[in-house]
Amino acid sequence: MQNSAPVSDDAHHQPATKRAPGSRKAAGRALVLLASLGFLLVALIQVLHTTGTMTAGFSDWRPILIAYLVWAVAFGAGQILTRGERGHRALFLLPAVFFTVAVVIFPTIFGLYIASLDWNLSSIEGPRFSGFDNLKGMLNDTYYWNALGNMVFYTVAVLGEYAIAFGLALLLSAEIRARKLFRVVFLLPMMLSPVAVSWMIGKSLLEYRFGPAATLARYLGWDNPAFFASPWMARFSIQAMDAWVSIPFIMIILLAGLQAMPKEVQEAAKVDGANGWQSFWHVTFPIMLPVSITVLIIRIIFKLKLADIVINVTAGGPGGATDTVSSFIYRVYRDRSNVGYGTALAMVYLLLIIVLLTLMLRASKRWTQKVV
Amino acid sequence: MAISTVAPNPIRKRPAAPRARRMLGRALIYAALLLWTFICLFPIYWTVTTSFKSAVDVTQAHLIPWVDFQPDWKGWRSLGLSPDTLFGTSTARSEFMNRFVNSIITSVGASILALILGSLAAYGLSRFRYKFAWMRNDDILFFFMSQLILPPVVLALPFLVLYKALALLDTTFGLILLYTLTVLPIVIWIMRDQFNAIPIELDEAAFVDGLSTWGAFLRIILPLAVPGMVAAFILSLVLCWNEYFFAALLTSTDAKTLPVMVASQTGSQGINWWSMAALSTAAIAPLVVVGIFLERYIVSGLTTGAGK
Amino acid sequence: MKQQDYDWLSALRPNRRTVLKGAASAAALGTSGALGTFSEIALAQNNLRAQIGQIPGVGKGSPTDADWQKVGELCLGPTKASIKEGEFKGVELSFMGLNNQNLHNLLFRGFLKPWEAYTGAKISWIDLAQADYNPRLQQAIATGTVDFDILEMGAPFEGDVCGKGLASEMPDWVKKQIDIDDYVDYLKPPVGTWNGKTYRVTIDGDCHNFNYRTDVFSDPALAKAWKDAGNTGEWGVPKTWQQVQAVTKFLKGKKFKNQNVYGYLDAPKPWGGFGFYFLGSRASAYAKHPDDKAWLFDIDTMKPRINNPAWVRAIQDVIDALPSEPADQLNADPNTTGFQQFLAGIGSMIPWWGDIGQVAKASDTSVIGDVVGFDILPGSDDVYNSKTGQWDKLPSGPSHAPNCAYLGWGIYVMARVNGDEKKHKAAWSAAAHLGGKDLSFWMVLYPSGFQAHRTSHFQYDEWVAAGYDKKYITSYLNSQLASYNHPNRAVEPRIPGIFQYYSIAEDELTKIFAGKVDAQTGANNIAAAWEKLTDQIGRERQIGLYKASLGV
Repeated sequence: MQNSAPVSDDAHHQPATKRAPGSRKAAGRALVLLASLGFLLVALIQVLHTTGTMTAGFSDWRPILIAYLVWAVAFGAGQILTRGERGHRALFLLPAVFFTVAVVIFPTIFGLYIASLDWNLSSIEGPRFSGFDNLKGMLNDTYYWNALGNMVFYTVAVLGEYAIAFGLALLLSAEIRARKLFRVVFLLPMMLSPVAVSWMIGKSLLEYRFGPAATLARYLGWDNPAFFASPWMARFSIQAMDAWVSIPFIMIILLAGLQAMPKEVQEAAKVDGANGWQSFWHVTFPIMLPVSITVLIIRIIFKLKLADIVINVTAGGPGGATDTVSSFIYRVYRDRSNVGYGTALAMVYLLLIIVLLTLMLRASKRWTQKVV
Repeated sequence: MAISTVAPNPIRKRPAAPRARRMLGRALIYAALLLWTFICLFPIYWTVTTSFKSAVDVTQAHLIPWVDFQPDWKGWRSLGLSPDTLFGTSTARSEFMNRFVNSIITSVGASILALILGSLAAYGLSRFRYKFAWMRNDDILFFFMSQLILPPVVLALPFLVLYKALALLDTTFGLILLYTLTVLPIVIWIMRDQFNAIPIELDEAAFVDGLSTWGAFLRIILPLAVPGMVAAFILSLVLCWNEYFFAALLTSTDAKTLPVMVASQTGSQGINWWSMAALSTAAIAPLVVVGIFLERYIVSGLTTGAGK
Repeated sequence: MKQQDYDWLSALRPNRRTVLKGAASAAALGTSGALGTFSEIALAQNNLRAQIGQIPGVGKGSPTDADWQKVGELCLGPTKASIKEGEFKGVELSFMGLNNQNLHNLLFRGFLKPWEAYTGAKISWIDLAQADYNPRLQQAIATGTVDFDILEMGAPFEGDVCGKGLASEMPDWVKKQIDIDDYVDYLKPPVGTWNGKTYRVTIDGDCHNFNYRTDVFSDPALAKAWKDAGNTGEWGVPKTWQQVQAVTKFLKGKKFKNQNVYGYLDAPKPWGGFGFYFLGSRASAYAKHPDDKAWLFDIDTMKPRINNPAWVRAIQDVIDALPSEPADQLNADPNTTGFQQFLAGIGSMIPWWGDIGQVAKASDTSVIGDVVGFDILPGSDDVYNSKTGQWDKLPSGPSHAPNCAYLGWGIYVMARVNGDEKKHKAAWSAAAHLGGKDLSFWMVLYPSGFQAHRTSHFQYDEWVAAGYDKKYITSYLNSQLASYNHPNRAVEPRIPGIFQYYSIAEDELTKIFAGKVDAQTGANNIAAAWEKLTDQIGRERQIGLYKASLGV
């Protein structure tokens, strides 16, 4: 990856005039080359040391990390030297790219490898290569498909969360007293950890006997307020808890968007005689569409990883009605130490999400402004 | 201001009862606000009061302190944080404090790191066109986003192996790196939207004034993006603060964080509602402070944006 | 904290001091020389046990950190006899265990603080939540990231740890120090051993007993209603599962003390594998035949018995009983049934580990302290014989088979200390201190998460002296002792991955209980999944280990 450098092109009107002179270019190239050689050397020493070919070396792989860091810095400097203004621009992106690649590349490759193994941690022989057996097993796994089906419900429910959050954001940007207080209060649910939410709300507040929610429900005339005993009720209860935690997230993003919206636009609409609903539907909503799509997609991604609350409150029950793909994978991976199969399930899930996400992005491009 | 100034507008459709309608509208707004306030606050109220309840008060659903039940420092005593135990030795308290400090270092560290890396990348993606092999801006953005999608279990064993090799197991630094990775995509996406909303003409004006690319970014654009940055920071902070899965897997003694201790309040002896409630309260408190404090900056950042 | 700080000690000091001096001088002659002053030690021990029994006193609230340290300090005698002061200076040990509601590891910290002060060793702690325990352990083993020297572990994991050679064999001096022969029968080998080597310092005894409400089963109004309903037998505590079913159905809709009263409480919601034990408790009387040691798998083939008529009958019992239980029972796990229902006064019968009895009286989570009674698990009029495929009626009456579930926690020392003699000795000394005879007595006396597991724990007078009600404690301890030593006890197999079997079963069981599949079909599904799992882990080896764990 040292060989191909990101090329930045001028996005807009400032022409990248400041080309680097030849001598600086040469110096830059030399710097990158030197750093790359140094990095390779350190890596080579360590590989030889670990494989036992060489006694000299480091006790762990940490020097590799430092060498990588040095190399990355040198590479960045080299970019500036060789490519001038374009190098400056590349420098915006490079730190994040280097960071992500460094942290994620090994785990992903290793994860793909694990997904192809028949590996139960309790098995005495250890991992066995099994090719696509895990995938074949998945096709017949009713739990996995059941969980995927449930995810459809949970994903669609995001729209409800979005509607409520939008309403709240509008309320907060209306002319109200104690706005600051309301803002802070509306943010609070987001801060409770999922563990605390599942115990303090799921197992205590919604408790059948002593939970205040059940008491209220009885008062309102529901004799048997068992929030988790029938499939649909359980699904809705789980969804309600998750919504409680995540609506503030959607709300805060929408609120930031609403605040960035030029006031003149709204006022112009008022002058044109639009009533509240019209001005929302024809002015506010279209302007908010890009940020809405962003927040919806992020939220859907988070929703697809929903697990903690389900694991603690219902453990996927009753009869798998609230099971999510993630909570099922957790059971396979953690409770049953079936790491090969669990990783394979997760990888397939990852692929499904990527496909879904690509489709969503494609579809949403029509509404969002494109990059550049 | 917009809403309240439209009242005298002459082109209203039903000018007969504008005042009554307005009153009704405002009443509805406040009713909705108060309803949601109740929904937000009640579970938290329940959590906080539970930390002062004995078992009987929990199982009999007593709600209001001094009226329904006699509050007691029970939950806080179990953590060594009640007035009578505050100065004695308490293993639970030192455990709590240790984890608390680690949680702060880890989540603040990761959030700041993610904010720096993410803002730079987001600005780049919003302003310039990159080409890296077959990847264009959208693909690069998608590459970052895909890190968000990765289910954590996929990474569990690989990270154990990787961190063992790098001697990063049970280190705060290792945890910060991992958390940065998990929140970086959100930061990038939020910040890119933020930068996209700032007109390119501002950059151009800065260049005309003789600022370099980085100068324009740091001195003109970044201050305008403060609301987004604050929102992104709060989100990252919350996510890191409450992260459980990797904290339970990768830490042992030196880097352990709070969430595992909250989860430890249940087990073969039932559930210690009071200490779980006390721990949850203590864990949410710093975030509330941050929320109150930073919320101001979302607003002030905005006025900067509106003022130009 | 120094022991001199406590007033109560000053009165006893002369006695204690001479004893310790005697022990110390004997130790100077040789580690086993302490036997010479045996009678003196025995006397001092009685005093010591009486003393620690009063810290803080039963009914005086939950013990605090200071109490743990006090007890740890007082029980340091055996350590002082074998270890010189400051002998482990510079040794650093890492201890992995649970933080179970701020007990377990936090309790051990308190106990070991005086030990650290005396020996000079330093311990760092890894606390896990119960749900993370199994995955963390398995992943540490698989990736070679075992970073702990001492481990708190349950017997079911012995297959995974001892079977892979990760544990350090117990030295003889430790066996002597903790008086290993004092353990109750079912905790003696093969439990705690692997291939004939001893690995575990037991600190807990686990077994399901039967907890019931004495007031419900002695209520005249309910007795009359019972007769009126046309039942022939007397109203009283059920002795068989057939009676449990009848009583549970009878109590539906009945009132007691102006409250709905319920019978047996099932725990259908999965609980990380632990929920399966509760089906096991319903099934053991049907499935565990006195002539057959196995009850979960066929012993020669590992063919699951989960879908045989005995287990299916137990599953069907749950299905039949659920409509008579509280409306939200489908989402109740054992934690709910035990602590949110039974101890809060809902339901009149549950099986549980000894925690219920320990907590019902000496902790403030309970509202039913005075009205709980204990027994071994109910029996069955007939028991399934899997060899003949027939239901047998035993001439001796109903067949009982107490479910010895989980077999308790123990302290293990990891093999990684073996290379370093000082560290090895220090780790074992710490483990022996925690598993000491007197210290363990205190642990089972107070809510700690640990139950009686030594013969010496069953001296009822000591419990009464500590403040327990005689009748209550006799009932409690008898139910445990009778289960531990029952000739037909159903002992859990310590095979690798046993919790994987349970976890798979739990998943399928929730489908059955939610009415998605019938009992037989569901049980067949479990059996099929278990067969697959056995093949994955390695059938031949599982068979061998299964036999070994049953002592066949």
